[in-house]
Amino acid sequence: PAGGVSLRRCSTRVTLEGINKPVIDRIIRVDHAGEYGANRIYAGQMAVLGRSTVGPIIQQMWNQEKDHLKKFNELMVAYRVRPTVLLPFWNVAGFVLGAGSALLGKKGAMACTVAVEESISDHYNSQIRTLMEQDPEKYKELLQIIKQFRDDEREHHDIGLEHDAE
Amino acid sequence: CQLSPLQRTLQASAVLRRVSDEQKEPLASSSQQQFDSHPTDHQPEQEPQGPRPSYTGQGGQESEDYESEEQLQHRILTAALEFVPEHGWTAEAIAEGAKTLGLSVAAAGMFHSDGSELILHFVSQCNTKLSELLEQEQKLVQLGKAEKKPTDQFLRDAVEARLRMLIPYIEKWPQALSILLLPHNIPSSLSLLTSMIDDIWHYAGDQSTDFNWYTRRAVLTGVYNTTELVMMQDSSPEFEDTWRFLENRIADAMNMGNTAHQVQSTGEAVLQGLMGAAVTVSN
Repeated sequence: PAGGVSLRRCSTRVTLEGINKPVIDRIIRVDHAGEYGANRIYAGQMAVLGRSTVGPIIQQMWNQEKDHLKKFNELMVAYRVRPTVLLPFWNVAGFVLGAGSALLGKKGAMACTVAVEESISDHYNSQIRTLMEQDPEKYKELLQIIKQFRDDEREHHDIGLEHDAE
Repeated sequence: CQLSPLQRTLQASAVLRRVSDEQKEPLASSSQQQFDSHPTDHQPEQEPQGPRPSYTGQGGQESEDYESEEQLQHRILTAALEFVPEHGWTAEAIAEGAKTLGLSVAAAGMFHSDGSELILHFVSQCNTKLSELLEQEQKLVQLGKAEKKPTDQFLRDAVEARLRMLIPYIEKWPQALSILLLPHNIPSSLSLLTSMIDDIWHYAGDQSTDFNWYTRRAVLTGVYNTTELVMMQDSSPEFEDTWRFLENRIADAMNMGNTAHQVQSTGEAVLQGLMGAAVTVSN
């Protein structure tokens, strides 16, 4: 947006005044890309292992990722952030990673899940740190969302470990 | 001549000090008039100023209504726009603008000699005006006082409104376009263009979060640029040819979405046909 013009949209109730736009932009863009990729990974795993015993578990984790992605889609519009230009790439790469790891068997798929969720939760943690350093009050809503998602991803990680060890 | 930022700051303060030393009293009234006669030219972020900023001679202490160099530059450039139809986007226009504010013509030395800053200032001002226009329109729709326009109409009107701002300067605009394409201006001019196009789509209600985000903006940028070029060579009354061209391009852009769909469905159908054939043959 040009100059100091504030953009107040009644429909989404987010003011863009006073926020550190470059930082928030990057956070939302990366998170959106990450959730999109995670979606595609689970889609790939389901394509191979959908009818196996771990099918329902993967489906459940996938559903949660779908919710995450939906949330980031909303945030993206509210904060007027542009999506990453690499989306088509993540589309394919995510699916290939998911399907590839699933072809190695259930353990392969779970190991992949553990690794991915580990790095995602580290990533969310560092974003939480950044936002806390900036201004916990101003970014309260965003912080809440990221904390919730970080907890969800940790849960996925633990589920992965559980089933990996079987 | 190119001045380093430090030299420019020194020159700016020297200019102001010299002028204010020479003429303190008459300046206060003339600049007040200037302020009143150009109320709409001021940038939104400028707070209203009272009497002319005065400078004490001791140790460079400034009075409370000291304006920043940036604000001063904006005022000079805004004043200079009046002289563009006559002098083009040049240091002469800036010098004339500075004169109307009661400054010495040497104030033009603060800026690049190719008129880049004047052009960029103008573009930025137009973009801000467009945003305000679209924001007001949106408010009217939200309050139920106006109908929500269909997308193609909205885009057409927004692009037309923005291009109409060029009309007073149309003779000298080709010159401005070529200057904006100079390598050292491309980052700024590109960024102004992309944020304007993004604004238009935002107010049009675009909520895409996938690759469409890029496709839509690329297409609209193409429409805007080509229409602008057509406008440069348009001699029809009231630029009717340009607006008709715009209408056709927007219609093309809308159809592109449908065409892409059709291509995809056709592709899928063909694929299914081949699969069926393969299965049949293998049996």
